[in-house]
Amino acid sequence: MDYKYIEQLIESYFACTTTLQEEQILRSFFSQEDVPAHLAQYANLFNYETKAKEEVLDEDFDERLMSQIEAAETKAEEVEKPRIIKLAARPFAERRFLGIAPQVFTPFFKAAAVVAIALTIGRAAEHAIGEQEAEEKGNVVAVDPYIKTSDVQQAIRVKDVSQAEMKATNDSIINIATKDEIQ
Amino acid sequence: MDFRHNILPLKNIVFRTALRIVLNREEAEDIVQDTLVKLWERREELGKVENLEAFALTMARNLALDRKEKMDNRHVTFDDDVHDRPDENTEGADKMLAHKETTGAIAQIINSLPEKQRTIIQLRDIEGKSYQEIANTLSISESDVKVTLFRARQAMKEKILQKKSFFL
Repeated sequence: MDYKYIEQLIESYFACTTTLQEEQILRSFFSQEDVPAHLAQYANLFNYETKAKEEVLDEDFDERLMSQIEAAETKAEEVEKPRIIKLAARPFAERRFLGIAPQVFTPFFKAAAVVAIALTIGRAAEHAIGEQEAEEKGNVVAVDPYIKTSDVQQAIRVKDVSQAEMKATNDSIINIATKDEIQ
Repeated sequence: MDFRHNILPLKNIVFRTALRIVLNREEAEDIVQDTLVKLWERREELGKVENLEAFALTMARNLALDRKEKMDNRHVTFDDDVHDRPDENTEGADKMLAHKETTGAIAQIINSLPEKQRTIIQLRDIEGKSYQEIANTLSISESDVKVTLFRARQAMKEKILQKKSFFL
């Protein structure tokens, strides 16, 4: 029998020029009983390649692995629970306070915010004016002690007017804010 | 993604490949468990993975290389211990010797190759994978796979012929 083809395949195998199919042919060839003596040295190699693919895990591996998977699942669920609550935290509009729907409070919160803004601006304006007044009065008194009382009174009146203007501005801010709220 | 249908069937190829790297059954089994559990935990990303088997093998190899490194480090201390307490370690040595005899001459030849070479032999000659799949699994080029396979097969041929002349 002529083994030229097989001999050539063996040579190609060691040169790494065989295809996967040709390598399978070699394994099939060596799996037969009567391999010619001059090729017998390679029989162990190709038979080992076949045999090594039959190496598998023990029977009880699946069972052990499945219990590990289940344990991992339970652990994952435990870890996820608080996360779910955090991520799915109900939006403010759905939360209840003392059992009352928050929609009921919304106008009050808005009104409170408007009042707070108005107060802040008012206080700031008053403060600024007060300071300015004090400064002016101080200056007037200190720099020119002989100034006419009527002049000082005139200055104060002017300040009163500007204070009244400031109040009007505050009122219009409140009006705008209230309008916003209504809208 | 179903564990029993998509992931569990990868267990044996992952096991053989891990075993070829760490050369220890228990370690290899642990690697299979770790790999399959990790795959399951990442199941939502796996839809994007083109070749799940190659993906699993890459994962297993990385785990195996990590473990092997740790084992090699442990062996250094093991050797140190031998100097101190030689009697206690004879049982382990006997076991290792018996193990070598049962795995056969070819297994010994393959297992004595460098890791990259024997992993490529495992994937090509035992698992029947294409160069492209192997390159994908090892994250190297196809030509790198071919060069490494060539070296591995040449080394095997040399050792087979040495053994033959030794016995004749």
